[in-house]
Amino acid sequence: VPLTGLQVFKLLPNTNCRECGYPTCLAFAMKLAAGKESLAKCPYASPEACAALGAASAPPIRGVTIGRGSRAITVGEETVFFRHEKTFVRRPGLFRVLNPAPNRDALLDSWRSLRIERAGEVFQVDGVAIPESPGSPDLAAAAAERGFPVAILAATLDGASATAERIKDHRPLLVPPAGADLGAYASQAARLKIPLVVSGSDLNALAAGAMDATRAGAADILLEPPGADLRGLHHSLSAIRRGALDRIHPGLGHPVFLRVAAGEFEKAVLGITKFASLLAIEDHGGETWLPLWTLRQNIYTDPQKPLQMQPGVYSIGEPNVNSPLLVTTNFSLTYFIVSTELEATGLACHLAVVDAEGLSVLTAWSAGKFAGDRVAKALRTMQATERVSHRTAIIPGYVSVISGELEDALGDGWRVLVGPQEASDLGPFFRDVWQPAQ
Amino acid sequence: MSLELKPKKWPGAIRTVTLGSGSRRPLTVGGGNGLPLHTFEASFPHRPVLALEITDVPPPRWIDTVRQPWNGVLGQPAAAARRAVDEFGADLVMLHLVGTHPDRGNRSPQEAAADVRAVLDSVPVPLIVKGPGAGPKQNDVLARVAEECQGEGLALHSACQEEYKTLAAVAVAYGHVLVAESPIDMNIAKQLNILLADASMDLRRTLMDPLTGGLGYGLEYTYSVMERIRLAALGGDAMLNSPMICLVGEEAWKAKEVKVSGGVHWELATALALIEAGAEVLVLRHPESLARLHRQLDCWFGGDACR
Repeated sequence: VPLTGLQVFKLLPNTNCRECGYPTCLAFAMKLAAGKESLAKCPYASPEACAALGAASAPPIRGVTIGRGSRAITVGEETVFFRHEKTFVRRPGLFRVLNPAPNRDALLDSWRSLRIERAGEVFQVDGVAIPESPGSPDLAAAAAERGFPVAILAATLDGASATAERIKDHRPLLVPPAGADLGAYASQAARLKIPLVVSGSDLNALAAGAMDATRAGAADILLEPPGADLRGLHHSLSAIRRGALDRIHPGLGHPVFLRVAAGEFEKAVLGITKFASLLAIEDHGGETWLPLWTLRQNIYTDPQKPLQMQPGVYSIGEPNVNSPLLVTTNFSLTYFIVSTELEATGLACHLAVVDAEGLSVLTAWSAGKFAGDRVAKALRTMQATERVSHRTAIIPGYVSVISGELEDALGDGWRVLVGPQEASDLGPFFRDVWQPAQ
Repeated sequence: MSLELKPKKWPGAIRTVTLGSGSRRPLTVGGGNGLPLHTFEASFPHRPVLALEITDVPPPRWIDTVRQPWNGVLGQPAAAARRAVDEFGADLVMLHLVGTHPDRGNRSPQEAAADVRAVLDSVPVPLIVKGPGAGPKQNDVLARVAEECQGEGLALHSACQEEYKTLAAVAVAYGHVLVAESPIDMNIAKQLNILLADASMDLRRTLMDPLTGGLGYGLEYTYSVMERIRLAALGGDAMLNSPMICLVGEEAWKAKEVKVSGGVHWELATALALIEAGAEVLVLRHPESLARLHRQLDCWFGGDACR
């Protein structure tokens, strides 16, 4: 529980020495309580004060890193129940379950090279989850060598230990089977210094199990929530997050691990929206990954920082020099709506996306990010003006006011056509305004 | 060290609203006194309900995946409604009068009313009627429908902050439910409810449509505004505690990804996320999404364990 300013003040020497840069200890205490200063600035802070403040400021949910190198993933460290309170910070890892397959090297290579870019984020296979089989040490090594973080889905302690031993330097996640003797697995995880999943038949057993594993020396823990169906699982997931944030029990302050079997798409949706940090997903066929990645992108977007598109000229269909050239901002939602509506018109065109710091059209204009000279400069820089021979740029209806200054700034015989206010009216606009004008 | 998690209690609750009256089999939504789906700590006398969308004319922008289940009945509202209810198991139906739009056929208010009547004659469930959208035609169409279907408890979709008086008046006069739409904005949602209350609209006969952003197309905005609206309602704000309706199908099937990826999953993910955020009425387009969501809701609210 965070301390109040007065509680912090009582831990300080109250000498008002000013060495921290504040006129009084009380002023410094208020900043500390608000999380805006560090106790390190007080040269006279007692060890007791450091301990008390440290415990109070420790994150309610610990961070855990799985894997090594550039694809290593850190999860946890969340601080809120609702994303609008601040933001969710660590995108959950979506691990793909790899069963023994004759073509495993080719499969792993294809997973490694998979990259889908969407609104400034790259979707990829975050890690590989390997169910125990006679070949799993080799399989795990093949995945780890390619840089993938690995989750070992154990069936037996000996089998899992063999795999874990083989790739222990890659920091794999050890996942014991349901109902296993956690003590033995915890000792293995402690010995190999790798993260461990703890499960329990109910929340009490789960929290107690996490405490036991910590005492056994396992430093990094994920919790596998109980729940036979979505309703039970939702209860566990909500209770763990709330319990961790309210610091009801130290055993709950860990990220959450979830297994998703083939066909359990709804469970994956629930996990991504409601607090799961690492999901081991069995293949459903290709069509389930894109919606899950996109859902994660939506839920983990910082509400204060809208998704932005890379500025540039985007082609809708296969445009040529006679196709319309439209201009809009780089707010991803604006781009998506405009590009979707443009596609629906069936007319190929160039869409110039201008950097407006991720603001929508009207907001960008009122903030001075979508003024005529700025837009003109951007169009020249991205060479949008060279894509067409007709020298006509179409601007959103909401910023008709910039048409004059944009024409002046573009010069060279360019003219500006004011488009509709709403993207849904682009079809009639092309029919009634654009085509007659050509 | 034992674990004690206290159930979270709230001063407020969601209003109950009954859809359908007269010849309809009524359906009540709302009434929950806790966070959405928190059945472990709050009571929910009514579960979220699922509608399927049908259209008065063949829908102009539906892709093949979502047209396929409706083969043979697209643009035939009475037959489509029967398929939606009898075969697909929809709790209720939304008739989108897309053909009344000036650019989409410009069908008359009289024709629209006849379409609604035909649907009422073919199925016993409550009906949501969506007009052609903003513009003068919206009121003409919905007012005529409201008058000709007096007492049926239709949900008229929708009134907005700029244009609500006519529809509030006809909803009150002819015994219907009004959907109050706001542009993903909690303040406007509240303002519109205040305006409707001032226009002597009984808020027990309104739903809020917070405006749906589909998966990948603004879902996060809708999701968070709904969570905030729900928190305000549970905190006791009587101007924000109407049940919420989301037009999921319309937005989910607009995504360009549904052409390459599975559209059903796109619709399903959008819908489930919005149920978690507090949606009580969801309008879908594909019967498979409906069936899969029904299975989950049966499990949540029917008491039987399931997957």
